[in-house]
Formats: sequence, C-alpha cells, structure tokens
Amino acid sequence: MATDTKIKVVVGKPGLDGHDRGAKVVARALVEAGMEVVYLGLRQTPESIVAAAIEEDADVIGLSVLSGAHMTHFPKVMELMKEKGIGDRLLTGGGIIPTKDQETLTAMGVGKLFGPGDDPSLIVNYIQDWVKEHRREN
Amino acid sequence: MPTLTPTLWDEFTNGDRRACARLITLVENHPDAIPDVHDQLATRLGKAIRIGITGPPGVGKSTLNALLALGLADRGHRVGLIAVDPSSPFTGGAFMGDRVRMDRLVGDDRIFMRSLASREGTGGLSPATPYVADVLEGFGMDRILIETVGVGQAELDVMACADIVVLVLQPSTGDSIQSLKAGIIEAADIIVVNKADIPGVELALQALRFALGLGKGRKDRPVPPLMPTSAQQSEGIDKLLDEIEAQAKRLVDSGRHLEMRRARIAREIRSGIERCLWEKYAARADAESGIAHAAEDLARSGGSPYPFIGDACAKINITLDRKAETNDSQDR
Repeated sequence: MATDTKIKVVVGKPGLDGHDRGAKVVARALVEAGMEVVYLGLRQTPESIVAAAIEEDADVIGLSVLSGAHMTHFPKVMELMKEKGIGDRLLTGGGIIPTKDQETLTAMGVGKLFGPGDDPSLIVNYIQDWVKEHRREN
Repeated sequence: MPTLTPTLWDEFTNGDRRACARLITLVENHPDAIPDVHDQLATRLGKAIRIGITGPPGVGKSTLNALLALGLADRGHRVGLIAVDPSSPFTGGAFMGDRVRMDRLVGDDRIFMRSLASREGTGGLSPATPYVADVLEGFGMDRILIETVGVGQAELDVMACADIVVLVLQPSTGDSIQSLKAGIIEAADIIVVNKADIPGVELALQALRFALGLGKGRKDRPVPPLMPTSAQQSEGIDKLLDEIEAQAKRLVDSGRHLEMRRARIAREIRSGIERCLWEKYAARADAESGIAHAAEDLARSGGSPYPFIGDACAKINITLDRKAETNDSQDR
C-alpha cells in the first residue's frame, strides 16, 4: 500500500470558457491510470484552483484552456502557487496553445502542455514520470 | 517512510492550511504514521460534532452539504468537510466531483474541505475517514461534515464514524416498500427529502411517514424527523440546520456524545490489538507460506480451515506472553 502512493490531480477550467469535454476525457484517462482526480469543473478562478489544490494536497494541477486566454491563466496560477507555498507541484494542462506560447510558459516553470490529437497516454506517462522524479517527503 | 515531523506539527498547530492538508495525506497514505499522529492530536479531540451525510447517488448530497457547511460557519462554527467518492476496484483510480457543487466554499477560511477516494472501503467511506476527521478536529474544526459515496441500502460505515446521521433521499426513489426495508433508513437521525421542488415530494414523505410511524416501538432512538429541502433553491436549509444543532446540543447535554466517543475509542483499541496480533503472526518467517500451503491443501482436499486457524492463534499467544528474546529461543 504505502509503496505505491496515489497520485492526486486537481483538474479545472479557469475563466469563462465552457468547453469541458476535453478536461473530462483527460480526467477520465488519469483515473483509468489509477490516479485520484479532483474535478473542479467550469468557471474557476486562479484563486479557487490554487485554494482547492492546497486543501487536496494535490501533486499536480491540470488546467484546460480553450479560450485563448492561456497566457493569462497559466502565469497567474503559477504565480499564486509560488506565493501560497505549493510551487513544488506540477502545473500542466492543455488546450489550443500555440507552440511559441508553450515555450514561453515552459520557461516560466509551467510543465509540458498538450493539445488536440495528443494521445491521453502521453499525459498519463508525463505525470507519472514527473511525480516519480519529484516525490515529496510527505 | 514519511512521518510526522516537528516542523509539520508546528505549522499545523499554527493554523497553516497546507500543513493540515499534508497531515491528512499522511494518515490517508501511510497507516503506519497514524499512531504518531494520534498521540499528538489526542488532547485536541473530543468536542467536535461529526455529522454524516449519506444517501443514494445523485440525490444532492454535495449541494446540500455545501449549504450546510456555509450555514454552520455563519452560526459561528469552524467546519471541516470530508467528501468521499468511489475508487475503481479495477484501476484504483477515482473521479471526485464533489467540488463542482461546492464552489462557494473555496477561499472561505472558516471551512476546510477535502475529497477522499474510498480506496479499500466498501461501506461508503474510505478506511482513513475517521482519522481525517480527527486531523480536522485537531485543526480547530468543531463541526465535521462527512459525506459518504452514493450508497444503496446497507452501507453503514457512517454510523460508526458520525454522531448524527443525515439520510438524504429524493422523490421517486421507490414506494413504501422501499421505506420498510431494514438498513440505512434505520441508521438515520434525520431524514431529508431533497429536491422538494420537483413533483412527487408529498408521496415520498407519505411513504416515509408510514414506515417511520411503524417503528415507534423502538426505544433506543427517537423517530427521525422528516425534512423536505431543496438544496438547489436553498429551501428548508435553515430548518435542517436548526434540527442538526438541536440534536447536537441534546447529544452533548445527555452525555450521549461522550458515550459514543467512548464506544469509538473502544473499537479503535480493539482493532489496534487485532492489527498488532496479525502483525506479530505475519512477522513469523513461515506466516505467508504457511497460509498459502494450508489454503492449497484445503482447496484440494475440501477440509476445514479452522484447525489451522486455531493452531496459528495458539502460536500468537506464546509470542505475546513472553519477552521477545525468550520466545525467539523457544520458537527455534
């Protein structure tokens, strides 16, 4: 039991974008891979996402952004994570995010981002590997 | 092995929500750490009222729970909220959606909400639930709402864990025959018929009233009040809160709260001894292989396992009665 500690992921959609099918499909894929996923749903704020991640002691925050506002949401969530003392967790996500923007976000400390057509197993593997490498003490 | 470090404990006692979350993870993921955590928490426990919220899937438990948490906080309480959702027995994963209904609680410092996957629990809660409730009480919460997974008729874990059990139902979940069956309906201290804004609520109340009326002969618990609510429309919530608080006061005043706590501690001691005995037996070099061999023989020959069990228990006795060194030499 203690040896295969569960990975806990908080999945949410910041902002006013109502397209949640992708987030649900990815959340489901993570569950199929044995992770515990706390699904926050639509219209979240960076504050509500980070507050939930703190209470849930999540290893990973996954954002789904299809509205084009990714350059606002990802940096704001990242900044809040650092401010609230959970900068050691993984911030990842997906949506319609141009490669150039992805590079900028990665340079800020955001993890890998995924887009339409990416196989969900890529996300599963990425998260599993990241957590293995960064496992916190408790 | 992660443990309770002095730093973590300091942060926890200073009211750091991150530390509270980490302590919950610790008891959830590492049962071995529970004794240490409990030793520290012990002096902080005993006052909180634990309120179990149970009922079938989709009746509105989470929505109702969010309103109860806010209402209790408005009445001056600090509220811990545990929401359990089912783990897949096939993949071990869990999709936890309670927060979708609890948006309004986020960022409210009077409330601490945590989702738990049910993991090995099959009675509506996760095995760690009572310990998580302890952590929340130790963090200063004096009302702990414990929401079970959507349950059927007989998942009764919540009884052992909660001082007050609120059973949430909705209209159209069955006729009076359903209300007459044994099980969860008998565990309820309050029965809520939620979604009272949709048709059929009167019929549901009637069926329940009939079934509950028949149970008046039971002396050990009063007939639970029937309360229609509409969590969606925020109706009936104040009355429900009044009832919960009145029952909480009665529990404390009558000494029943203490009695329940005593029973809970006795259970904890019993299961601790069970665990300890098992560990002592399992520590024997031939424990696992012995069981495997016996099982193989019995499966083939069709014999009874009880002689083997009796034998095994006799061996544990020896280990307990003597000091480790002497029993080492004896066993050889």
